[in-house]
Amino acid sequence: MRTRGAAALNAAVLSATLLLAGCGSADPERQPLRVFAASSLTDAFSDMAGAFEASHPETEVVLVFAGSQVLRLQIEQGAPADVFASADPRHMESLVGEGLVTGQRVLAENELVVIVPRGNPSRIEAFADLVRAERLVIGTPYVPVGAYTREALRRAGADGGLPGFEAEVLGRVVSEESNVRLVRAKVELGEADAAIVYRTDAAPGRVRTVRVPPGANVRAQYLIGVVAGAENAAGAERWAGFVASPEGRRILSRHGFLTDVTTAQ
Amino acid sequence: MKHRRSLAERAPFLAALPMLAILAIPLVALAGASSPGDIAAGARHPLFAPAFWLSTRTTLFSLVVIVLAGTPLAWWMAARPGRAPRLVETLVDLPIVVPPAVMGIALLETLGRNGLFGPALSSLGLRLPFTTTAVVVAQVVVSAPFYVQASAAAFRRIDDDLLTVARTLGHSPASAFFRVAAPLALPGMVAGAALAWARALGEFGATLLFAGNLTGTTQTMPLAIYTALESDARVAVALALVLVAASALLLIPLRAVPALLVRRLGVEHGA
Repeated sequence: MRTRGAAALNAAVLSATLLLAGCGSADPERQPLRVFAASSLTDAFSDMAGAFEASHPETEVVLVFAGSQVLRLQIEQGAPADVFASADPRHMESLVGEGLVTGQRVLAENELVVIVPRGNPSRIEAFADLVRAERLVIGTPYVPVGAYTREALRRAGADGGLPGFEAEVLGRVVSEESNVRLVRAKVELGEADAAIVYRTDAAPGRVRTVRVPPGANVRAQYLIGVVAGAENAAGAERWAGFVASPEGRRILSRHGFLTDVTTAQ
Repeated sequence: MKHRRSLAERAPFLAALPMLAILAIPLVALAGASSPGDIAAGARHPLFAPAFWLSTRTTLFSLVVIVLAGTPLAWWMAARPGRAPRLVETLVDLPIVVPPAVMGIALLETLGRNGLFGPALSSLGLRLPFTTTAVVVAQVVVSAPFYVQASAAAFRRIDDDLLTVARTLGHSPASAFFRVAAPLALPGMVAGAALAWARALGEFGATLLFAGNLTGTTQTMPLAIYTALESDARVAVALALVLVAASALLLIPLRAVPALLVRRLGVEHGA
């Protein structure tokens, strides 16, 4: 059984998914492995699950996607998770601090890109062109992608020699989404002229990508760990090992993740 | 003997208890999960005040739109027997069934930049997505069905003879509506309006997709709660409790109005 991140639009949907995952009559021959992962891992981990199940036929991977904070809350409330993969190191660290997750390691890194609709109505060809966007959509400061976005704008303005850039670009923001997929959706639907998302969310073919200069860009670390008291602790370790294996890294980099930092087991 | 009678008397309450418990206990647990200090911190959170005022303004405006535009539809549905109103009734119910997020996409396909009326709107210099107007449109679409259905039901309960008598006594159709039908249906209409208002206040999915999420412009209370949930669950709980308290404060008088109207009108009819 799989769940898709797009379906996890809000916590209510997610709770229903968890409920169903908990009650579903799983194949008695196959032990379930419950992977709680940040929404931005949706596509990569869906592929990963297929490859993992092919080489571990005794395991049935159950994927649960939501914002890292929501997943952390659910693990704190005793949700039946075996593995936790976080897009924000703070949430992993606090779970480790509470003794709820062990053995955390770096899973991959991500960075920011600008995306524009395929028609590119505001003719944005470079990061500095963001001031031309009539309607810009970014993440709220309360989610990692939004915090990284502000940091990149600050760096481009203060260190990149573009005085006033940060304030001018933030003045073009028409919506601050609480989830990176919602940020992208606004560009895909053609309602926003530009948005700042992770490179893994750029979805080539559906949107066009504009690079963020390395001097301004921010590297986001993804961490993975085993949930304390996991029902399938052995499977959880195997999953974390698979993610760091050459095959796992290939899947991650196919989805745009940077894996030169992935910690081998 | 006495014991058995009291058990029989209590039976309706005991039967009602499971539903009451499942409705009330989560809210009680929510309240128990945070201290008064948490709630005060929630109310002082930078997301709170703009979202609270935006929700108040937009839901009241939506309610006015719903009553003004929904009443004629309800009246038409109630007055005409036959197949067309039944079809319309199903149409009116659909926004209740369709997930709100899908309604948000539907609104973008209608009024967005690339939507059905997008080019026409932009040639007039109008843009709806990401504006406060879009918040109102989303609220109206998802909550109007509750008012329209309740009002239509209230109109249907009116004895046709009363309207016929009003007409034979020289009232115009409009006058018959305002002097006879509307006062009689008023308690049902007010109850429907309260329900629609509550639904508008909780509106989340359609707003998120169609209007976006910007503090002070489109970030209503449910969106602020969701945004806070992504960073600090305790703040989200505090914001939610303030929303629950505000809704209760506004719903109690709204619930009381129909009862008062019935009493007052009852006296008038008796006199």
